[in-house]
Amino acid sequence: MEMILNTMRMVDHDQAREHSLGDEKSLEEHLPIGILNPKDFKKLNLTRSLHLTVSNKNGQIIVGIKEDEGVPQGTILMPVSIWANQLTSFEKNEIIYKNITVNVEASRDPITSFNQIINSIKSN
Amino acid sequence: MKRIPCTGCSLLCDDIIVRSDGLFIDEVIGACLKGKERFDQLSSSNRILSPMIKKNGVLEKCSWEDALEKTSEIIKSSSKPLLYGFSNVSCEAQLKGIELAKVVDGFIDSNSSICQGKVLNIAKNTGITLTTITEIINKADLIVLWGANAAESIPRLLNKILFSRGKFRMTGREIRTLIIIDPVKVASFNVMGVRDIALQIQPNKDLELIRVLKEECCVADSISSEGVAGLDRDDLKRLILNLSEAENGVIFIGQGVLRPQSESNLVGELLELVQMINTKQEKGRISLIMMGGHFNMAGFDHVALSTCGKNGGLQFDKHQLIDTDDNIVSKIDNEDFGCSIIVGTDPISHLPLSLSQKLATKPIIVVDNKKSATTSIADIVLPSAITGIEVPGTAYRLDQVPIELKTILNPPSNIPSDEELLTKIIDKINKS
Ligand code: SF4
Repeated sequence: MEMILNTMRMVDHDQAREHSLGDEKSLEEHLPIGILNPKDFKKLNLTRSLHLTVSNKNGQIIVGIKEDEGVPQGTILMPVSIWANQLTSFEKNEIIYKNITVNVEASRDPITSFNQIINSIKSN
Repeated sequence: MKRIPCTGCSLLCDDIIVRSDGLFIDEVIGACLKGKERFDQLSSSNRILSPMIKKNGVLEKCSWEDALEKTSEIIKSSSKPLLYGFSNVSCEAQLKGIELAKVVDGFIDSNSSICQGKVLNIAKNTGITLTTITEIINKADLIVLWGANAAESIPRLLNKILFSRGKFRMTGREIRTLIIIDPVKVASFNVMGVRDIALQIQPNKDLELIRVLKEECCVADSISSEGVAGLDRDDLKRLILNLSEAENGVIFIGQGVLRPQSESNLVGELLELVQMINTKQEKGRISLIMMGGHFNMAGFDHVALSTCGKNGGLQFDKHQLIDTDDNIVSKIDNEDFGCSIIVGTDPISHLPLSLSQKLATKPIIVVDNKKSATTSIADIVLPSAITGIEVPGTAYRLDQVPIELKTILNPPSNIPSDEELLTKIIDKINKS
């Protein structure tokens, strides 16, 4: 399903905190997460045990799911992090962190790990 | 017990009480969770306490002498060093960063250039009306959060500006109106009262809203009956009424408004709207505050402006500042750099993948006090003391007011401040 991705700073999903005080496990628990409206959750036939594959022409990641009625339908929110930045892009020297078109699907695959992302950056 | 400013975010709350025995921090009173965690970093296992050099793909501890030697070697053998970050360090360190860029004929930019620095650049054409936190506390009767998730990014902001009683606002919260314009029902919506206006705008429709407000400023009653951008006509009328009748209104601009200029001139049009309202206003005015997150993001703009006449994107050639339109994005995208010196930030986490990949192809030297995605791929990691706890300095609060940062403990293992470390690098380069 096509959705709009918005990245946002969130107190409970804060990359600065996880890098300062957490470990790889807590990074992976708190940052790779997609927050959706419950109506979109239903539309995507999601259950709590599933994950989300979020992709666009810039990249693809698998993240956990959270529901929130405050998120407008058609929008997926992600905390600002290395995970969300696999999907962000730039145009005319400016980074686009909001209103990014992505494709969102249910997934049974494991959440993309921090090391997978680091390795993909290093191996380029 | 000592009262010190918190460097957890750009609000730099100066009412934090810290109890310490000189070796450890025993108690932090008055800070929010984010601020408390800033103090927790002191003893975190993620703290970097020793310089490291990458050997066979793995970072290994080394002596300061070896680390500085290798740093100087990399910088000197690179034709175009790129210096980036500097929004989590003191103004004194920012000044040293600019000096280093000048010595090595490098390019230096701060996180501000992809954040609030964009507003300042646009304001060169339109002008901007700014205000201070103190003035807001004492006088503001209208607070607008536009694309700004204040409750989560600057946790104590609303406490200070909305709930505090001020000299001319003795009734405090009761007399202040809060308006939130955001596509997402962010945490700040939870503090809204009956007189406040919650505007959950449709995603990416801010420009439409600004244009309607501008039109309404010129011709009253121009809003169509269906409203605009998913917002009700009556709410829009209340919005314009509040903006045009506020004695002291302030709009906090968050990341939600800082869209790329190639998409739309959202910031420019917002600045124009504020000007239009202020021209029409007879008894008051609307001001703006940019909500940069890092504790001294505003500082780099001030330091660069006062020393080089430009708030970011400084390119040196033959030790002279030269004209350029480049910023951190174009420099990395064009691979126009030979190595990078990253100070107090984590670009591998906060840049898009394709830029991170390009940054990773050249040697990376990181100056920071904690581990990050960037340190995990760096060639050299140089630890620095935590500013505002272990070393003093100056920082500019989000309202552009300079705040003196204090110390409460000495840094462990004689770790230098960012300023001292950058001085050592400059000395090493000059000597070798
Ligand atoms: S709001 Fe910011 S400056 Fe104030 S205590 Fe919290 S983190 Fe520190």
